[in-house]
Formats: sequence, C-alpha cells, structure tokens
Amino acid sequence: MIEIEALSKARGAVPVLSAVSLAVAEGEVMAIVGPSGGGKSTLLRCLNGLENFDSGAVSIAGHALAPGGHHPGLLERLRRDVGMVFQQFNLFPNMSVLENVATAPRVVARVPLEAARERALALLDRVGLSSFASARPATLSGGQQQRVAIARALAMQPRVMLFDEPTSALDPAMSAEVLDVIVDLARAGQTMVVVTHDHTFAKRAATTVIELVAGRVARSGPPATLLA
Amino acid sequence: MKGIGMRMLSGMIRTCVAIVVAVGMALAASGAELDAVIARGELVWAADQEGGGPHVFLDPKDPGRLTGFEVELAGLVAAQLGVKPRFQQGQWDRLPLLLGRAADCVINGIELIPERRRDYHCSRPYFAYSLQLLARRDGPLDSFEQLAALGPGGRWRVGVLTGSAAEIVMRSRSDLEIEVIGYDGTIDSLEQVQSGVLDAAVMDDCIFNFYADRFAGLRMVGRPFGGGLYTILTAQDTPRLSAAIDEALGTIIADGRLKALYDRWDLAGRQQVLALRDAAEIPTAGRRSLAQLARESLPLLLKAAGMTVLLSCAAFPLAVLIGLFVAIGRLHGPAWLRPLLAGYVEVLRGTPLMLQLYAIFFLLPKIGLALPALVAAVAGLALNYSAYESEIYRAGLKAVPLGQFEAALSLGMTKWQALRYVLVPQAVRLVMPPVTSDFIALFKDTSVCSVITVIELTKRYSVLALSTGRIVELAIVTALLYLAMSWPLSLVSRWFEGRLEKSP
Repeated sequence: MIEIEALSKARGAVPVLSAVSLAVAEGEVMAIVGPSGGGKSTLLRCLNGLENFDSGAVSIAGHALAPGGHHPGLLERLRRDVGMVFQQFNLFPNMSVLENVATAPRVVARVPLEAARERALALLDRVGLSSFASARPATLSGGQQQRVAIARALAMQPRVMLFDEPTSALDPAMSAEVLDVIVDLARAGQTMVVVTHDHTFAKRAATTVIELVAGRVARSGPPATLLA
Repeated sequence: MKGIGMRMLSGMIRTCVAIVVAVGMALAASGAELDAVIARGELVWAADQEGGGPHVFLDPKDPGRLTGFEVELAGLVAAQLGVKPRFQQGQWDRLPLLLGRAADCVINGIELIPERRRDYHCSRPYFAYSLQLLARRDGPLDSFEQLAALGPGGRWRVGVLTGSAAEIVMRSRSDLEIEVIGYDGTIDSLEQVQSGVLDAAVMDDCIFNFYADRFAGLRMVGRPFGGGLYTILTAQDTPRLSAAIDEALGTIIADGRLKALYDRWDLAGRQQVLALRDAAEIPTAGRRSLAQLARESLPLLLKAAGMTVLLSCAAFPLAVLIGLFVAIGRLHGPAWLRPLLAGYVEVLRGTPLMLQLYAIFFLLPKIGLALPALVAAVAGLALNYSAYESEIYRAGLKAVPLGQFEAALSLGMTKWQALRYVLVPQAVRLVMPPVTSDFIALFKDTSVCSVITVIELTKRYSVLALSTGRIVELAIVTALLYLAMSWPLSLVSRWFEGRLEKSP
C-alpha cells in the first residue's frame, strides 16, 4: 500500500531525512516513534504531498510521487485516497461538526447532499459523537475535536490514514478516548501510519514500529521486540 | 442598546452644537472694514483661478503668474483705495463664504442677481455679459428654439457651471425639453460637449470667446440671450468698504481706465461702459420663512440623501467583491498576476478619489467610453475602495492559521475549494469590523462625486445654502440626515463585533 524508497530531504544544508526506505502492506498499522526533530512528521507530510522531498520515491495507494514539486491534480487525486489527522485537529471553525465531516465528500467526491450527511452522521456515531452533529467545533473538548477530525478524514473513505501526533495535545483521559477510536480502526483493517510519542498506543495497535533518529531509520520491528 | 442610544444621541447633539457654533462664528466674525484694510495696506480679493479666462487664470506663458482682466481690475480698485491687492484662492461657488473671514471682497464674474443682493453687498456693476448657447459644429442643434422640442436622443443634455447665472436661468426654463447638468469647472461642460456626452452648454459669452480656439469643434448657436452684470461682493457688515469700492469703480469708469482695460482684453470697452452706465437697478430677493424653507428644501435634501444611499449601496458591494478577488489573486494567484494586482492596489490607494472620478468621467469619453455620471460615480467609488478592501481581506486571509489550509488540502480539496469553503468564510468573519467601518467612510466619501455632476447630499446642501442664504438651518438638517443614515451603520458594525466576540 505504501512504499518509500531512499527518500531524502534537506532544509538548506541540514538533512532532515536521509535515505529512508520502508513499506506498509494493506491492513498494516505502522507506528513511527523517535525523539523530537528526528523527521517523523516531515516523513508523514511527504506521504501526502504537504511537503516536497529532494530524492527517492514514494508510492502510496497507487499514486507515485517524485522528488520536487507535484502537479496539483495528482495531489488532489492522491489525497482523496489518503486521509490525514493533525496534532492540533484543525477543524473548520466556520462549520458545524456535521459540516466538517460532510463538506469534503460533497464538494470533492460530489456525493449528493443527503448521502453526504448520512455518511457523516454514521461516522460521527462510530466515534461516539452523533449527538454533537450541530455543535460548533470550539464547544467540544480536545478529545472530542480529534475524534471529529478522524471522522472527517474517514468520510473520504481513504485507503490510507496518516496520523500526525494525534494525542500529543491531549491530556491522558482524552488521549485514551482517541486511542480507542484508532485501535478500533486498526481492528477493522484500516491501513494506517501513526507518528506518535505514545508507546502504549504503539504496543496496542501497531503491527510494525519504526524508530526514526536524526532522519534515519534507527530500528524497526514488531512492537513486542522493539518497545520491550 | 439604551446605553448606545443615549451615547449616540448626546453625540448627535454635540455635533449639532459644534456646527451651529462654527457657522455662527464664521458669520459673526466681521470682515475687515475700510480702516482695517487701509491699516493693513492690502485689499484681499477672492477668486477661483480654476475658473479660467478671461477673468482670472494662470498665464500660459508664465505658469505661476496670475492674470486676467479681473486681476487688473482688482489692482485698479485697490490702488484707488490706496492699498495693494492680494489674491485669495477659493472654490468658485463658495467664494462668498470667504467674506468676513479670508477675504474683503469677491471679484470673479459674480453675477448681479436678486439672491446675491439679499445676502451680500453688491457693488455697482463692472462688466456686462450675455449668455450663449454652444454646441458641436456637426451636431443637430442649430437654434435655441430647437430646445423647446425633444432632440434626437430625447431631452437635450445641457451643461452649465454650478452656481452660475447660466444654471439659474436654464433651470428656470420649464418650457424647454432640457436636462441641466451642473459642473464645478468652468470649461468642463465644453469638454463634455466636445466629447459628445452633452448636447450643448450655456455660459457667459466672454468665457467661450476666450476659449473658442481650444474648442474648435464647437460653435455658438443663436444670438446671446439673458445677459446680466458682474458685481464685486462685500460683506453686509462692512458698509464703508462697500461704499469705497463703489466709488472706486465709479472713478475708473468715468476716467476711462475701465474702458482701456477692456479694450486691452478685447472685451469691447466702449460697449461695456455704455451698458454699465445704463444698468438698471436689480431688486433684492426676499428671505424665505422657515416653513417655506422646509417645504422647498426638505424634499430636495431627502432626494439627495437618497442619492447618497444609492451610491454607497451600489458601490460598496462591488468594492468588497473586487477587493476579495484582488486579495485572493495576490496571495494564491499565478505569479505573473501578483505584481499586477499589487500595482492596481498601489495606484488606486495612492491617487485621490477625486482625480479617479475625474479621469473616469472626463477622460474616458476621449477614447470613446462615455459613462453616465451615476455609473462613473459608482465605478470610481467601487474601484477606489476595492483597493482598501483588498488589503483588509489580504490581512484577514493571512490571519487564518496555515493548518486550516493544510487540513482542507488533505481532504482532496483544490486550492480554490479550500478558499471557497474554509479560508474565505473565516477571513470574512475576521475582517467584518474594519469592513463595516470602511462602508461608513465610503458613505461619506460619496460627497466627492459632485465633481462629476452627481448631486448628493453635501452638494445639494451647498447649492441650497447659497440660493436661500439659510446656511445654519440647512447645515443642521444636513448633518442630521447624515447621522440618521450612518447611525444604523454603526449599530450594524457593533452588532457584528459583538457576534464576533461571542464566537471563538
């Protein structure tokens, strides 16, 4: 589902990623761990074209990315198949919770309004928030907002989900409710790449763990051995 | 709500009091009487050098030097009083308001009419003029009588100088099928006849004689009609200065210096002196009662206020729309477009609105694009304000966190969908207070549109104030009308701010 080959990226003279190679099979959940500044988030953002890279190749959900800038049309097609969840949730404050989830299917995938709303309600139900459908995002707790953000990404029915530190901005109780949702997704066979500091999560949900240190893959393996 | 209402009310009262005090002081401040003029050694005379030749204008051979037959006349009169003349610039239709403050007298083709005698002291006449109808050589207008029937394009469009006798005479001719349009510049109407926007112009014959060579495509239609006399205005509370000026004029008429002056300017000196000698006494107009003033002025002021509202409400949505597209283009458009849009903003922000209106209305017809005054006014206001709106929107768009854009793109939205559904709605909310405040600014800036003949509230006020002499009463009514219109706007702006504070 994902193949990264010798991906390198530098900011000025400072290398951020150095010849990173890895593969994620369908249904697999990969956790990327490692110290801050190790290049975890940058690697993730290269996977859906939010950042460019200097050399190497990325293939994800059937789309190929080459070094340098990407054609906007390619990125739009790729991102329909690759959902992303951010550390700071980034919900749209100008929309209700339901509209946050239903807008992309409606305007990007051209799902009819009613169908998009039904799909959104079902996803909100899945993350336990259907009763908040008409609320504004700002009135929700951090954990609730992140669950809406997951529902929003799922609404495009992506083949791959990318999570960028999904629980780092949350206190432990709220982290747990978000983790439950992600673990559920993993059980349902969703292919996922999760950048995280949280080793309990990696142990609970990941099939593979990658440790990224100074832009290089330092270690990789199943969570049981790597995080023991 | 009550607090705001009380504050606004007390603000309105303060504004009115300030207007009354300012106007009252201006009227009370006595003009320099004869002894003060002599002690000063200078006679300050007011005129508008933009008014043009042959009266008062800048010497084309030596720009910076004022010339014209009235410049020389002022010199003769001052010499007769034993003082030097000093020129004071003013806008022509408001020159009399300078009396008692910035000027001792007005010498600038002021026609001797009953309304003037009511409000000021008018000297014995020093010049006789006739009104002349002017049209294009190749146009359909051959005689004055034709104006009584509809022309090929409906009613004849006739330009006049605002506040001039030509305007008063033409507006009083209800027997003619004409639409009278007032211009602030003396030869603006000639430009507009030449470029085909107007069918004809009416002005003092001596003015057209002076500029005839420049407007070779125009010709006089019919004989001169409805002539009159020019007078020197002084304030009513300086009777000895007025008497001294009358005496000075009498002297220079009697000793032949005025005839020599007019002969030098090719203004038929002998005919002038004969006309002045036999000039009949002009009656003084009566002052209208307050009830009569209200009956006559209020409908006109309300109609002009309607024009102010129309201009604002038509121009502002356009300005917002253009401004939004300019802001988006500068932030997200193709690279070649960005410097062009930046230039657009700088040019429109960096040049006066009045100049832009002037260019749209007077210069576009020269390349064959003649816009009606109302359309030109709306276009000018919309373009000018779009530059300011675009900067506000640019700031608003930049204030939306980058994460919002990334989240929208990550869902597969195009850049334009992200703008349409995510960024612009948030930016609009952010910039609502400065945008409403700009609306109020534009609302007041509509008064500039009078330079292109649109009669809105401020223009209507100054025309009425001059024709009725009720400066203070009309100023209060006009200020109240403006407040009555801008107050709801302020409330709307506050309501938006309140809403914004409640939402995150």
